Amino acid sequence: MQDLLNSLPERESLEAALDLMRRSPYTDVEKKLSNLIDVVPELSSELLYNVDQPLKIAHDTKAKKDYLLCDYNRDGESYRSPWSNQYFPPLKDGVSPSKLLRQLEIDVNDAFDVYRELYYEGGVSSVYFWDLDEEPDFGACILLKKSQDQTKRGQPMKGCWDSTHVLEVIHNDNNTAQYQLTSTVMLTVETKDNETGTVSLAGTITRQEERKVEVYAPHDHLVNIGITIEDMEFRLRNVIENIYFCKTKDIVNELRTSEGAAELKQKKNLPGRGLKVQKE
Amino acid sequence: MASEDDIVQIVNGFLLNAPPGEFMEVVTDVRGLLKNDALLNETAPATFREYNTEQMIKVASPTGKHQVLITKYGELGNGEYLDPYGKQVLTFDHIKGEVTNHRALGSGDITQEVEPYRKAFEAEAFKYQNEHYENGATTVYGSKNSDGAFVVTTCISSSIFNPQNYWNGRWRSVWTATFSGSGECELTGNIRINVHYYEDGNVQLNTNFNKAKKVPGGDPAKLSAAVFKTILTLESEFHTSLEKSYRKMGDTTFKALRRALPVTRAKIDWNKISSYKLAADMK
Repeated sequence: MQDLLNSLPERESLEAALDLMRRSPYTDVEKKLSNLIDVVPELSSELLYNVDQPLKIAHDTKAKKDYLLCDYNRDGESYRSPWSNQYFPPLKDGVSPSKLLRQLEIDVNDAFDVYRELYYEGGVSSVYFWDLDEEPDFGACILLKKSQDQTKRGQPMKGCWDSTHVLEVIHNDNNTAQYQLTSTVMLTVETKDNETGTVSLAGTITRQEERKVEVYAPHDHLVNIGITIEDMEFRLRNVIENIYFCKTKDIVNELRTSEGAAELKQKKNLPGRGLKVQKE
Repeated sequence: MASEDDIVQIVNGFLLNAPPGEFMEVVTDVRGLLKNDALLNETAPATFREYNTEQMIKVASPTGKHQVLITKYGELGNGEYLDPYGKQVLTFDHIKGEVTNHRALGSGDITQEVEPYRKAFEAEAFKYQNEHYENGATTVYGSKNSDGAFVVTTCISSSIFNPQNYWNGRWRSVWTATFSGSGECELTGNIRINVHYYEDGNVQLNTNFNKAKKVPGGDPAKLSAAVFKTILTLESEFHTSLEKSYRKMGDTTFKALRRALPVTRAKIDWNKISSYKLAADMK
């Protein structure tokens, strides 16, 4: 065993931990992450920051609306609601965006509430802003979550979509700003029935993007952020659809062919099939 | 504070869940987390063995041109695994991942009574595997259970490793036929598929399917033909149902989570976003 171990490349602990999570099935990721932290407690904060987990929902009892939890609206053990701007459990002097930024935060939350309804037809959305060192630069995260459980309607399928978009906005001198976006979608779709047993498709996809936008007034950010996120989700949804529902299925069909080898060979030899395919 | 036993259990959990073809990557990761190699040296050998036999990995016979599966059903102890088709016993080193020795079958290694059936099943299994599992291999075992009934177990394992394109997959089928003489045969099957796609992400398909069916009994030729006709039917039905599930998940569930576009069939005009809200409020 030691000989084998010695022949393996050395992997530094954080890199090893993240690689491990990327090979772990995404189902029950919270349990796996907590197990991992038991093994390397010194990496706890880095892991919690870097590993994607399904978003948790809390209820803003003042605004009577649900909101989503992440590191960017957390202060200690409390989480700030974007609707009432209050912390639950209540926190004195909790971190919150500056007055100007809070106004933008309110408007962007309202806009994404509409976006959420148009695309997700339900679910929960939350947007959090924070000031960066150099005014008026800021960071923002846009969160969306939607679950579907059709088991009650007799269709044994359920699913959950979680979007996490983290945006960094750096202003330039010439009425432009640089948007740096990192987006992750976590998706789980599961089914359980007599014909297929249990089938689970689960995981995460991440993409990054940089774009330059025009900014003449702070409110322009609302439109820019909206377009940027909508474009990114459009891209991600297509990638996800392709990977989850086409690519993995194609792989299954390579592992086992429904048609027998003899049948397939016959099909290949049909007249008219002898045309050479031009290489692109 | 996690105890050493806790850590062993957690580490083994990660190792046993390694996607097909990625076991050594996970070993490398686990090693990078632990302070020293002592824990791995002690506990990993058992885990390597557990992983390989659960995954039913495929090895080339050192004597013939055929492939042999390393499975629990063929485990004799001391690293020895049955290769009934090759009429031999292989010694497999789980840590090196290779066959290190082989010997002829001894009288105690197989149950002679069951052999006529096992051979007949094996011939059918090769035919079936060649037809439907180009990347696979099959190994068929024969034994008797505690009630004296004959048990013929067919293992099929098919895998493709494509790390350059960031994906790996394995399909495992185990079909167990239990019968007494030419009495009715109880056929039970388990199919497991694992696919991992990991370019800029981590997407996994995991399936687990169980089925049981009674097959009329007969002599080796008759029973094996009937059993494999049934296996073909049941596996084809499963495969077709899986395709149907995929379509449904993609069309219905996925769309119910997030539409491709709003009902308007166009992207949002963000300059007019507040008017969308007013329209919704007026519904």
